[in-house]
Amino acid sequence: MAKAIVKPMMSSQQIEEAYIDYVLTNNEPPKSVYDFAKKLNITEAEFYTFYASFYAIEKSFWTGVTNQVIEKVKDQETWPGYSAREKMLSFFYAYVELLNTKRSFAIYTLKKHSKKFSSPEVLSGVKPLFENFAEEVIRDGLDSGELADRKFFSKRYKDALWLQFTFLISFWADDDSPGFEKTDEAIEKGINVAFDLFQHSPIDNLFEYGKFLARNGKFREKMGI
Amino acid sequence: MKIQESMPATKVERSAKFVKTGFQIGGNYIKHYSKKLFNPDLTRDELNEDNASDIYNSLSQLKGSALKVAQMLSMDKNALPKAYINKFSQSQYNAPPLSGPLITRTFTKSFGKRPEELFDTFNPVSTNAASIGQVHQATLGGKKLAVKVQYPGVADSISSDLKLVKPFAFRLLGMNEKELNIYIREVEERLLEETDYELEVRRSIQFSKACAQLKNVVFPTYYPELSSAKIITMDWMEGMHLKEFLATDPSQALRNKIGQALWDFYHFQQHKLRAVHADPHPGNFLITPGKKLAVIDFGCIKEIPEDFYEPFFALVWDGLMNHKSATIEAFRKLEMIRQNDTPRQVEFYYKSYKEMISLFSMPYAGKTFDFSQPQFFEDIYDWGEKITKMPEFRQPRGVKHFIYINRTNFGLYTILNELNATVNTQTYKPAVKKERMSMEE
Repeated sequence: MAKAIVKPMMSSQQIEEAYIDYVLTNNEPPKSVYDFAKKLNITEAEFYTFYASFYAIEKSFWTGVTNQVIEKVKDQETWPGYSAREKMLSFFYAYVELLNTKRSFAIYTLKKHSKKFSSPEVLSGVKPLFENFAEEVIRDGLDSGELADRKFFSKRYKDALWLQFTFLISFWADDDSPGFEKTDEAIEKGINVAFDLFQHSPIDNLFEYGKFLARNGKFREKMGI
Repeated sequence: MKIQESMPATKVERSAKFVKTGFQIGGNYIKHYSKKLFNPDLTRDELNEDNASDIYNSLSQLKGSALKVAQMLSMDKNALPKAYINKFSQSQYNAPPLSGPLITRTFTKSFGKRPEELFDTFNPVSTNAASIGQVHQATLGGKKLAVKVQYPGVADSISSDLKLVKPFAFRLLGMNEKELNIYIREVEERLLEETDYELEVRRSIQFSKACAQLKNVVFPTYYPELSSAKIITMDWMEGMHLKEFLATDPSQALRNKIGQALWDFYHFQQHKLRAVHADPHPGNFLITPGKKLAVIDFGCIKEIPEDFYEPFFALVWDGLMNHKSATIEAFRKLEMIRQNDTPRQVEFYYKSYKEMISLFSMPYAGKTFDFSQPQFFEDIYDWGEKITKMPEFRQPRGVKHFIYINRTNFGLYTILNELNATVNTQTYKPAVKKERMSMEE
């Protein structure tokens, strides 16, 4: 009689945790999926039902963090009362707060895939999530009049914020100040500058004035200017 | 567009800020001298005015310790031309606030809880800003509280700020930068202490206990369990700032009462505790609805060592100044006269410092002193102005303790002057060569 060993199915969460544990303990990825699956006491096929590769685990780690943070910040009592600027600041502070609890693995994935001057590949899954979130926040800001609705440019606000995101993540990865205090400073300053630029500014008025003068060229001729 | 929130972060950026100021000051000098070509009567007042506002503008954007230095300079009115003072006095109030989410972050870091979870109510909009932090209103169990939150990275930036501000600060004071390291270290020590909020809470409790016996001086209760390295929670004190108080046109008797409370507070500390609240700028005091003096900040405490206390207060109080050789001996102990000074130099510094100490100790001469008399302050300014022009004072003299003791006492005198108060100066006399109360508990 065949003995059927009933073993509980592993969840994707458990596989991720086991992978993180393996990497941080051995300071390198497992030799192969086969080898790793064997250690977990699962079949290779079971592994592949959740992840196509180790790299996929790393990507999913980042999207997991991002989803968790977005959920968490929106859950705050203070959230509905926040301005767009404060929403974005709150997101970043919550992000590094959560990342600090998983710092070793986060840095491992960043350093491993780091290509200078571009956002790390491993964050590619985060980008659409972040952009969705950023668009939502920006939309609120535009609706409330907090941010300036500029032709062409307001569509690019989210791109500017994504650049901030990748910059701040790499700043955080290199931060060696106590309590990562410098990252807090970088967030406060960086996001404030970005939102200062998104707001109505004298440049908008100057632009409007220029447009007005151009439209009223005839009038100018009459005046002999 | 002026982006007030973009406080220059890195040392490079901060340097750039100072370099810019340097250019502007250079420009001001050019402006001054080109005008002077056509108008030889032009005084340096306008130049000083231009310089002060440029320096103030760059300092106020630096926040942190540079703002603190501006505050210190503004307290040392005796050593600064008048134009600087008015501008620097502005730095005693408001700087741009921190964002709500950063405040939340500071709380979760310290307590693992958001401010709304820790208190019954918490106002995320700060009521006012100090140089290294800002103050929020909160309530807990029906009590109104003041919660001070420190700007991140303040401690970290102090040392680099001081290095940057050094050449500026001391060009203003007309001194040589190189020999100032002892003094700079003294300032740096105090400033770093101010960023340690845990220390501040301990000291606040200690000092308010020790000073509890003083008449008409009150202190908030501090809550160590709601405080951390970056946060201080204390009772919210109702009251008016000095300026608001003066605007109510208080009676002379009331002015004297507040002035006396101030005087007693400072002299009790200097002579009984031998450690003093060394930050007598008006923002640290309130006049309560019950017309008492509330002291709301113990960030800066200067301990007065025996080897400074003895010679200095013996000079001020014991009529020692009538004896030339004893006075010179005391000046030597205080390093105002140095080992290798020539007889001519000894004579010169003896005269100059005797003048200073005589001025300083004038309030102690009679039973009471009227701080409203302008002559006393004119004399102090004149002396300050005179020595900034003397080449003999290009290099600093005197032990490092003078910085904070002078700042404290001249600061006190200035506030008493603004109050137009007459005070009994004999309440807490120096206890030279006598036992004193211990601060240790």
